[in-house]
Amino acid sequence: MQKIEDMVCTFCGCLCDDVTLTVENNMIIAADNCCTVGNAKFMGKNRLKTPIRKKDGAWEKVSYEEAIDYTVETLLNADRPLMFGWSGTHGEAQCIGIHMNELIGGVIDSTTSVCHGPSILAIQEVGHPGCTLGQVKNRADLIIYWGSNPVEGHPRHMSRYTVYADGYFLENAFKERKVIVVDVRETESAKIADEFVRVKPGGDYAVLSALRAIVRGKGDVVPESVAGVSREQLFRVADLCTSCKFGALFFGLGLTMVKGKYKNVSNAIELVDELNRHTKFTLTPMRGHWNVYGSNEVFTWMTGYPYAVDFCRGVAFYNPGETSAIDILARKECDACLVVASDPGAHFPRACVEHLKDIPTIVIDPFQSLTTPVADLQIPVGVTGIDAEGAAYRMDGIPLKVNKVLHSDYPGDAEILSRIYERMMEVKGQ
Amino acid sequence: MSELLIKNGYVIDPINNIHGEVMDIAVRDGKIVESVGSGAEIIDAHGMLTLPGGIDSHTHICGTKVNFGRYMSPEDMRAGRTTRIGDMHATSGYSVPTTYGNSYRYARMGYTTLLEGAMAPMEARHTHEEFQYTPLQDCMANTLFDGNWQALQAIHDNDIKRLAGIIAWYLTASRGFSVKLTNPGGTEAWGFGHDATCIHKRIEHFNVSPREIITGMIEANEMLNLPHSVHLHCNNLGKPGNYLCTLDTYNSIPDLNDKRQSLYSTHVQYHSYGGTSWHDFCSKAEDIARSVNAKPHIVIDTGQVMFGKTTTMTADGPMEFNLYRLYHNKWSNHDVELETGSGVIPVLYRRKNLVNAIMWAIGLELALLIDSPWQCILATDNPNGAPFVKYPEVMALLMSSTYRDAEFATVDPVTESRVSLPALDREFDWEEIAIVTRGAQARALGLVDHGKGHLAPGADADIAIYPIDVSSTDPSKEYETIINGFATTDYTIKMGHVVSRKGSCSVDHSNRTFWVRPRVSDNYDMGRDPAFIDSFNKYYSIRMANYPVQEEYVKRHICIETETSL
Amino acid sequence: MKFIMNTGRTVRQGKHIESKLGKAYGDETGTCYMHPMDMLALGVEANEKVKAFTEVGEVVLMAATDEGLPEGMIFIPYGRHCNAILSPTTHSTGMPDYKDTVVEIVPTDERRKSAAELMEEMGGVPYAEN
Repeated sequence: MQKIEDMVCTFCGCLCDDVTLTVENNMIIAADNCCTVGNAKFMGKNRLKTPIRKKDGAWEKVSYEEAIDYTVETLLNADRPLMFGWSGTHGEAQCIGIHMNELIGGVIDSTTSVCHGPSILAIQEVGHPGCTLGQVKNRADLIIYWGSNPVEGHPRHMSRYTVYADGYFLENAFKERKVIVVDVRETESAKIADEFVRVKPGGDYAVLSALRAIVRGKGDVVPESVAGVSREQLFRVADLCTSCKFGALFFGLGLTMVKGKYKNVSNAIELVDELNRHTKFTLTPMRGHWNVYGSNEVFTWMTGYPYAVDFCRGVAFYNPGETSAIDILARKECDACLVVASDPGAHFPRACVEHLKDIPTIVIDPFQSLTTPVADLQIPVGVTGIDAEGAAYRMDGIPLKVNKVLHSDYPGDAEILSRIYERMMEVKGQ
Repeated sequence: MSELLIKNGYVIDPINNIHGEVMDIAVRDGKIVESVGSGAEIIDAHGMLTLPGGIDSHTHICGTKVNFGRYMSPEDMRAGRTTRIGDMHATSGYSVPTTYGNSYRYARMGYTTLLEGAMAPMEARHTHEEFQYTPLQDCMANTLFDGNWQALQAIHDNDIKRLAGIIAWYLTASRGFSVKLTNPGGTEAWGFGHDATCIHKRIEHFNVSPREIITGMIEANEMLNLPHSVHLHCNNLGKPGNYLCTLDTYNSIPDLNDKRQSLYSTHVQYHSYGGTSWHDFCSKAEDIARSVNAKPHIVIDTGQVMFGKTTTMTADGPMEFNLYRLYHNKWSNHDVELETGSGVIPVLYRRKNLVNAIMWAIGLELALLIDSPWQCILATDNPNGAPFVKYPEVMALLMSSTYRDAEFATVDPVTESRVSLPALDREFDWEEIAIVTRGAQARALGLVDHGKGHLAPGADADIAIYPIDVSSTDPSKEYETIINGFATTDYTIKMGHVVSRKGSCSVDHSNRTFWVRPRVSDNYDMGRDPAFIDSFNKYYSIRMANYPVQEEYVKRHICIETETSL
Repeated sequence: MKFIMNTGRTVRQGKHIESKLGKAYGDETGTCYMHPMDMLALGVEANEKVKAFTEVGEVVLMAATDEGLPEGMIFIPYGRHCNAILSPTTHSTGMPDYKDTVVEIVPTDERRKSAAELMEEMGGVPYAEN
């Protein structure tokens, strides 16, 4: 039995790196310091054992060689291939994916487009006043979660970085910090807030505008109630924001997945810009998948754009809404799809999944997912952080190396993808 | 064994006192040698200016804030796109190109060695990952210490040996090359939205002044025998009247090293401002140049501004916020816990904007007024002053007063009353250009002994062959020839391989990362220091065990180990 | 009755993310959380079934109480069930209306399908061995 400390959990964008794993006989028998979800991930079973291919409506086992051949042939024969996913794998694999996509002139997109894609559009419009999470932990005396429910989505966020974390500049962090939660529903996170601001569905933009007006000294234009929030509460919240020493606003999909989408986020950013004229304030999107931010980093340094990149004309072309996965599938435009480390079968609207079923779809993933039933081929790989390793970026941009703890015969994503890429280069005579 | 013979090039190699001679250069297995056999590959460089590979000693090309500049600016990405062609990958971007874009465009200009100007050690892994995708240059990174809590504490305690131990640990852990101070003290103060505005005034909480940080760091830097000196971005960047702060800083610098400077002062154009506000803003380049001329232990780079669109990016978070309040353009900020800050803002420098025109003039004045080219390096603080692809234009401006006059005629006419540029008639010769684009960098970075910036046997075979016939070109008049000639080499050779031929690049897997590991005794090894470890795990948001950059992120690397007195 | 459908992550959904064909995941993602007053108006109780319709489809869900929700909003944990009735329209942003879709809810006695069944309904074939 061996205890291995300081391991990185590859579930959510918190990328907690203080997990202790107990390993016996090349199996993880305990994961300490984790949240429930991380624990389930480390203790996960039911891995797909070999590559499988669907022939005449039935699955059969195939070798890795055959699986690679099929993948190369399918992608090279496609006129408009889509390569989607990438948030659940390490950076090295993402880099190979970009090269591959450039070679075949396809579209490459990550789960960003159905997560914080709108946040990136907002950042491209108005910028991003941010910081690393340790900056919040050590300094922040005001925490805001807006349209975000960390208790469910990022279970250790509050204890590691915000509400319950000890900080250098706070004598008694838990007592000195104020917490505001803004949401349309009273979530578990809202229950621990000093101030819960319940916004009527679709009202975030208006509430952000009202706060901006108050902070700019134009509070007289604010009516008695804005999207269900009383004028009195708005003034109270604005006062908390301007009188703190360091405020940190974290926001979630409650802003990106509702009407207004990126405009909601732009408004939140501009509120934070405004608050910086009064005190110190930062803003951080609560990124979901453990390495979704890494996919944005890698895509950006390799192609210039963080997601939804179309190479069909040779140059990198970016236009979310057109070159993003949901739109391409909904238009039934792509004629082959490679899914890496994500599950559109579970998370995409019905029409998109139906199109995946109608075209050759290849999945690279350790587990059978809801994409498997509509796929034609699945190649199992190691799980990064368990039996595969590589680079990852936390939600605030901190790069970490994720180590492996077990030995297995599964290839890592990077290995499988580089074998596919090399074979493609051979076929294309490059 | 691979051999190469470059025949009949017009060679200038200032470090080896070759002042322009037609000669052959022999290369074997990536190094310059005395001679090669008859089977060597031949490159005919007849009638071509042949120089050591160019070195940029202050550029922003890889890492968190650079990538954020790309990420937030699809408009910049659209402004410079190429397809995959031959060995070359697709590229995007004008002022902040993708890593391949940087690498190909620098290679095309004959640059083979680059120093990333600012790397937060906590985010070092990111910088090194991008270095791996910058395939045609050797790279290294300035490591930021301006707001490092452990360092500030040691400076406060006046424990310079401990400070040196802390620097040694962070340089090793981040695989960094040199000590960078960006607005020392100011980036920590920015953690609560404040700034450090006077080098003598102590910042809150840590109770140290910028001056104490700068001098303490210089002392520690020399204790560690680092190849490069402290690399300083002075306080008060971009503020009218800041030249007094710059002079005050220079007057505080001790002369502690007889091989090279004790201070590298970067993008000094931004620190040479007179006036009390933007209304009476003017050049103080003469005062700064006079100070540098009197202090051989200071080397600067100019931080030249060129007109057009670009992106500003720096660890100086409070400065970027000030810029945001001027421009009202999109603003990004990224503070790094316990270490430093950063900010990014796109800007447009206009000829008809008086302030911008004065900034443009100041950079040139510095270069023309500082007597020794070894003390005044050509750089735009890429991309802050301008994207590096503007370097050939900067070279032409330095070589031709006619060109300068032609350009000056296009700027806001009030500029003339605020600068001395029109009165300066100095014109750089070829050798001076060679010094300010490679020789001085190699010396300032301490890389001459490591084979950079010159062409003596034993040096790295990094060579740039420009289609410029020196014997028939009058740079003073033919400045278009200079611009075109320096923009695209006929051959750029890196470690003996041709990596760019008339702008067409080929794959090369010889790029390396240079980093420094000072040897310190166990007593000064912070990896064993209980107070250091305890404080680390308590206040950083990652575990100390996960902090150091692993071997796989510096696949090919040169580790410079230094002997220290610790 | 018309509702706004809000979907999102829950701990229980996250825990079973790597066995999505299993019962626990389907039970969670096939749940329709509602305000008690809305349930009263609809005449359903917890653990009774409702059917949700949109312009693109319908799906049967198990009703459950969540007093934290505002009246007029249902919450369904991410997964196949909510996406069976979600339109792929993104208004040119790349992002569908995951948290802002109008749905019609009625009580029903029809059987709730598992995630695997929903896949089969679309012509998918789960792999039997895992």
